[in-house]
Amino acid sequence: MSNPIKTVVIVGGGIAGWLTAGRLAAKHKGQSVNGLNVVLVESPHIPIVGVGEGTWPTMRSTLLALGISETDFIRECDASFKQGAKFAKWVDGKDDDFYYHPLVIPQGFGKGDIAGHWLAKQHNADTSSFSNDVCYQEALCEQGLAPKTIRTPEYADVANYAYHLDSGKFALFLQKHCTNTLGVKHVLDDVTSINTLENGDIASVLTSEHGEVAGDLFVDCTGFSSLLLGKHYQVPFKSCSDVLFIDTALAVHVPYENENDEIASHTLSTGQEAGWIWDIGLQHRRGVGYVYSSKHSSEEQAKAVLARYVGDTFDSLTVRKIPIVSGYREKFWQNNCVAVGLSAGFLEPLEASALVLVELSAQMISEQLPQSRDIMDIVAKRFNETFLYRWEKIIDFLKLHYILSKRTDNTFWTDNRDPKSIPESLKEAMALWQYRAPADHDFTSRNEVFPAASYQYILYGMGFKSDYSQHVYALDDISFAQYHFAQNKKLIDKAVSLLPKNRELINKVIEFGFNRI
Amino acid sequence: MANLVAVDNKNHINTKVNLKKVEQYGANLHLIPVVLSEFIHLAVQYPIVITKNGNTGQFVFSTMLGFEKNENLFWKNEQWQGLYVPLQIRRQPFFVEAKGGNKNNELAVCLNTNSPALLDNIGEGLFDEKGNESKYFQEVKASLAQLLMGEKENKILLDQLTSMALIQSMSLEISFVNKGTLQLTGLYTIDQEKLASLNNEQVCSLHKTGLLPAIYTMITSLGQIQALINLKNKRLTK
Repeated sequence: MSNPIKTVVIVGGGIAGWLTAGRLAAKHKGQSVNGLNVVLVESPHIPIVGVGEGTWPTMRSTLLALGISETDFIRECDASFKQGAKFAKWVDGKDDDFYYHPLVIPQGFGKGDIAGHWLAKQHNADTSSFSNDVCYQEALCEQGLAPKTIRTPEYADVANYAYHLDSGKFALFLQKHCTNTLGVKHVLDDVTSINTLENGDIASVLTSEHGEVAGDLFVDCTGFSSLLLGKHYQVPFKSCSDVLFIDTALAVHVPYENENDEIASHTLSTGQEAGWIWDIGLQHRRGVGYVYSSKHSSEEQAKAVLARYVGDTFDSLTVRKIPIVSGYREKFWQNNCVAVGLSAGFLEPLEASALVLVELSAQMISEQLPQSRDIMDIVAKRFNETFLYRWEKIIDFLKLHYILSKRTDNTFWTDNRDPKSIPESLKEAMALWQYRAPADHDFTSRNEVFPAASYQYILYGMGFKSDYSQHVYALDDISFAQYHFAQNKKLIDKAVSLLPKNRELINKVIEFGFNRI
Repeated sequence: MANLVAVDNKNHINTKVNLKKVEQYGANLHLIPVVLSEFIHLAVQYPIVITKNGNTGQFVFSTMLGFEKNENLFWKNEQWQGLYVPLQIRRQPFFVEAKGGNKNNELAVCLNTNSPALLDNIGEGLFDEKGNESKYFQEVKASLAQLLMGEKENKILLDQLTSMALIQSMSLEISFVNKGTLQLTGLYTIDQEKLASLNNEQVCSLHKTGLLPAIYTMITSLGQIQALINLKNKRLTK
């Protein structure tokens, strides 16, 4: 074979860099002589951004693919269990305004139109919120319960779950695993220049002290600076700030008052005057941050909002300001260079899309790694198509949270509902959902990121009404609906009686650990 | 609630333990934790399985006496009908505790003064009139010692089984005469395929540490599940 791919060089050592290195080395036998040579070059002078603290359930299969023990991961990354997101004050901003986007699909989903039936029973006395009527996970979150017990094997669950984690610790943990177990070579040095071949491919990167590091494929994990894809190849950045207005984050680490305070088992997202505040419970602290639109709020105002949310301890905390430029590169794979992580793009952390995009990118690169340079352009084309689609769909889904709000307290919210700011693809989908619930046939690509169930949770959680009056017959299977609503109630009782508190389980994992089976 | 006090020949010179009430401790238990040195006695009548401790999630060896909570199929007519009564039952109402509650302190034999076996003050005494330990109390202490030692042996075996990945979950679907079926979960046993594919070094290490017989006893004891089903069916047809 001509031009075989033998060496992959990853530039940048945050979570994106180490996850990509790990997936490649695990799949392509980085630790064996005839396996793939995986090298990661990391500057000792550039700190990692470390923005992602929320994951998707996909992280479980990612860690498993890397051969990592879940017990080790939880112990070393300050990690806790996440069972979805609670959105407070997003609809009208009142104190009792909240809904859930849980990780368990609605009861009866896929067997019949449970969302439609739920809409039909809304005048009944026993109706509560959509997520509580069709999913047992909201009750678990409201009571601070864990998604499994200490008897549940590693990575298995009672209720579907993801993680909250300390991204700095996670990057170090991955580094250790990649270099000690998976055979990834670690070069701690600054990249000073890039050497190219005649066809425009990158031949090597030049480092200050380790000379040239040559490779057949280069992965750009250099964060916001996008050293290879952005700076070197000048691939244009496609901004979406006309759709998603948030452009600044103010973040703090809030310590628990007591060592054994409860850990929330969901991400709490609370709507504010010009954006929203994330609140993520780790083992030793909470991560809290206000993401807002600087066009709709001054930094001073924003700080005041965050201070009010955090309370008395705020004055003693260090506030970190992170600029958010929403958008993504027009392509992600150019020549023999592919970008993963912030170098590819960034969006506000509303649905924890940052780390999942890293996982999906690392997975696709490792699964479809071209054997030869001769076929790389085909893989690159597919990669670009796949991820352009994914970025667009994520933007649609994030925007959905804003267009359904009824808040009028700040132009941030009313501007967000301006039709000019809504992507055509989302408008089309919303037109269809006027008359029916989102269904699997709305999401037919194998590259979908958010399934129909997620759209249902947001739409009906935020009070959207689909009008079935033209086809009421679609909802005549009353026994189906009654069965599943009753079933959900049973599952709530069962799960609540079985599951321990989130903190209690974390403590047990630290003391005893999960078994692998 | 248990109330544990250290046993001595002053306070407990007249204490008597009703052995019938002792066996009653097992009347409603379908799983009882056991130690390695009991395996050979258990396997004659009961299946030995691996379960997870509800509090810690860690593996423990248990003997199986019924199929659901509160069901001990060997308990009939207010009596234990099996040949062998597990140590965990026989040692009741005695426990071993560190003196003063400090883990590093010397161990002391304690008595649960709230035990129903003490209520009527009839049965076996702990001391004679001179304050010497009775044969019964010596047996109790031997049982407690065997349990303490057994915890260590259990751990060695479980560590070996875990590190060689020899434990597998056991899924049992059982149909009874009344057409009722039961899906048993949470039970684990030896993975015989894995056991057969161990390399020489691993087999040798299991043999030299004396663990191999225990592993085969566990496998053999699974045959008793059928006997247990028969017992249950007998009960159902009555």
